[in-house]
Amino acid sequence: MDAPDTTEAPTQKSRLPRLRMSGRGMWITFLLVPPLAVMALFVIYPIVSALAYAFYDWQGLRRGEFVGFANFSKVLFDEPFATTTWNAFKNNVFVFFALMIIQNGLGFILAYALWRDLPGARFHRIAVFLPVVLSTVIIGYVWKLFFHPIFGAVNQLLRSVGLDVFAGPWLGDPDTALNALIFVNAWAWVGFPTLVFLAGLQRIPSEILDAARMETDSELLLIRKIIWPLIAPSATVCFILLFIGSFNWFELPYIMVGLDGSPFGTTDVLGLYFYRTAFGNQSAGIQDFGMGSALAVLMFLFIAVVATVWTIYLRRREIEV
Amino acid sequence: MAQLSLRGVRKNFKNVEVLQGIDLDIRDRELIVFVGPSGCGKSTLLRLIAGLDPMTAGEFVLNGKSMQGVAPSKRDIAMVFQSYALYPHMNVYDNMAFGARLMGLSKAEVQARIDEAAGMLQLEPLLDRKPRELSGGQRQRVAIGRALARKPSVFLLDEPLSNLDAALRSDVRLEIAKLHRKIGATMIYVTHDQVEAMTLADRIVVMRGGLIEQVGTPRELYETPANAFVGTFIGSPRMSLLETTRDGPHFGIEGSGSIALPGAPETGQKVTLGLRPDAMHLGLADAPDGFDAEFEYAEYLGNEAYLYARLGDGTRVSLKGDTASCAHQPGDTVRICPDPAQLHYFDTETGRSFRSA
Repeated sequence: MDAPDTTEAPTQKSRLPRLRMSGRGMWITFLLVPPLAVMALFVIYPIVSALAYAFYDWQGLRRGEFVGFANFSKVLFDEPFATTTWNAFKNNVFVFFALMIIQNGLGFILAYALWRDLPGARFHRIAVFLPVVLSTVIIGYVWKLFFHPIFGAVNQLLRSVGLDVFAGPWLGDPDTALNALIFVNAWAWVGFPTLVFLAGLQRIPSEILDAARMETDSELLLIRKIIWPLIAPSATVCFILLFIGSFNWFELPYIMVGLDGSPFGTTDVLGLYFYRTAFGNQSAGIQDFGMGSALAVLMFLFIAVVATVWTIYLRRREIEV
Repeated sequence: MAQLSLRGVRKNFKNVEVLQGIDLDIRDRELIVFVGPSGCGKSTLLRLIAGLDPMTAGEFVLNGKSMQGVAPSKRDIAMVFQSYALYPHMNVYDNMAFGARLMGLSKAEVQARIDEAAGMLQLEPLLDRKPRELSGGQRQRVAIGRALARKPSVFLLDEPLSNLDAALRSDVRLEIAKLHRKIGATMIYVTHDQVEAMTLADRIVVMRGGLIEQVGTPRELYETPANAFVGTFIGSPRMSLLETTRDGPHFGIEGSGSIALPGAPETGQKVTLGLRPDAMHLGLADAPDGFDAEFEYAEYLGNEAYLYARLGDGTRVSLKGDTASCAHQPGDTVRICPDPAQLHYFDTETGRSFRSA
C-alpha cells in the first residue's frame, strides 16, 4: 500500500516518505521476527516434526525407515490398537456431549440467574468462578479423595443421610467412573461458560429487552427469540472451546484414574491413549513414537477441521448488536 | 378508546424519590407531551405507564381497569424507544411482525397489518433489511411501524427524535403529527425539547423535580403560565424574569429605576415580572415607565433582531427589536419599556403566578 500523502508530492520529495516507510518497515520487521522465530521453533517445528515422526518406524528413540501411512493404518484399523482408539474416541464424544449439556447448559442458566441480579448474585458471581482458577492437579487430587469408596466425603455424606444404596466406588465402577470425571470437570469449569454468557447478556442493550417485554410476558419466549440470538457470540466461544477441551482432555483423567483409563478403559480418552502409546507405561506394553505421533496428528486434524467448520457455521448466525 | 388516569403516582429508586405524587387524566385520542428538564421524571412516568417499572405508590387506571400487576404486553400499550430498540437479528418485517404474531393473529392478519403500517411509513422497500442496514431515520420509522402493527390503544414515545439530526427531526415530527391525526390513537410523547412539545401537543404536561408544574394546551402554557418555571421553560428565547420591589403601583429594580403599572393585580411586596422578548421594546432614553439597562449585544436575524441587555441588578433581559437597534454599542445605556398588557406577575418567593392564583 502506498503512503497516501505522497501521491501529489513532487518526485524529488517523494523519496523521503518512502525512506520513512522503509524505516517503518524495519521497525515492524524488528518487532515481528523474534516472536515469529519463537513460534516457529516451539510451535510449528514440533507440529511438523510430529507429523514427520508419524511416517517413520521407530525402535525406542531411534528412527527407522519411512513407512508411509502404516502407523495411521495400525492405530485406526489393526487390532488390538483399533479397538482402543475407537473406544477412546467414543469416550471423548460422550464427554463432549455430556459437558455441552451439563457445563455449558448450567453455565447459561447460572449466567442468566446472575444477570437477573437475584439475591446473592455478587457472592455467587465469585463463588461460581473460583474453581476455574484452581489448578487441575489440585482439583483432581481433592475429588479423588472425595470419591474414595471408604473415606471419601461423597460416600460419607450419602451414608449420613441414609442413602447407603447409592454409596459406591465411584471411580472404580465402570458404570460411574466416566460420569464422575465429567461431573468434576463440570464442577471445576462451569464458571467459565457462566462468565462468557454473563458478559454476552450484559452487552444486550436494556431498551431491546424493554421493547421485547412490551410484546411478550413469556420469559422462555424472550430467551429463545431475543436473548439467545443476541448472545450467539458467547455461545460460539463456549461451544468451540468446550469442543477443543473435550477432545484434548488429559489432565483430569490422568490424575484421577491414571494413564490406563481404568476401570477397563471406561475412562480412556484419546489424550491418555496417545500418551501411553508414545511414551509407554507398564501396562501398555508398547512404546512407539510413530503410532503415538499418528494418533496426535489424527487428533489435531479432527479437532482443527471440526472446530473450523463449526466456527464458520456459528459465526454466520451471529449478528452485531 | 383509551382513557388514562394516574392518581397519586410515586416512584422511588432506592431512597431517591423520582416521582412525588402525579395526578393526571389523559383523554381519548389525545396527543399529550411530557416535557421538562433532564431528571424531572418524565421518562420514569412513561415507564410506569408502560409497566416496565413498578410504581412505588399510586394507581394507574386504563379504560376503567386498574393496571396494577398487569404485564406490559397485556396493557394494549406500545412504546417507541429513544434508541429505537429494534431487534438486531430480525429483518424489518420480522421486527414489526414479532409483537403482532404474539397477539395470536393469523398469518394473513399479521401480513395485512404490516402492509398497512409499512404503507403509512413508506417502509415497503426496506422490509427485508436488517436494522444495521438502515439509516437513523429509517430505523425510527421501523420502530414506529412496530408499534403501529400492534394497533394498541395507547402509544408511548420516549424522546423519539433525539437521535436524529436537526433536518430529519422536523420531518419526522411532522410525520408523527400526521400519523396521530390519521390513526387517532392516544399518544404520550416525552421530550425535553419545548419546540417539539409546542408543535405536537394537544396538551402539554410540564414537569420538574418529580412533580407536574402545569398541564394545558400549548397556548395556555404560553399565555398563562402557572409559575415562573413554566414561563421560562416554554417559549424561545426564554422569558426574562425581573425581580422587583413593589411600592403601590410602582415596581422598582435596584439601579434601574422603577415603572408604574396601574393595572397590576394584588401582589405582595416582592414581585417577579415575567417578560417575553416581544413584551418589551427599547424606548427613548427619557421614555417614561422604562428601566435603565446596559446594552450587551444584538443577534441580527434579517427581518428582526434579538437584543440582550443587563439591568442594574445584574439580570439579563432578552427582547425582540427592529434591526435598527443593532446599531447600539455594547455598554450603551438603553431604556427598556415593558408592555403592561403582556406582563406576567410571579411571586418572587414561590414563583407562582398572581394572575392564575
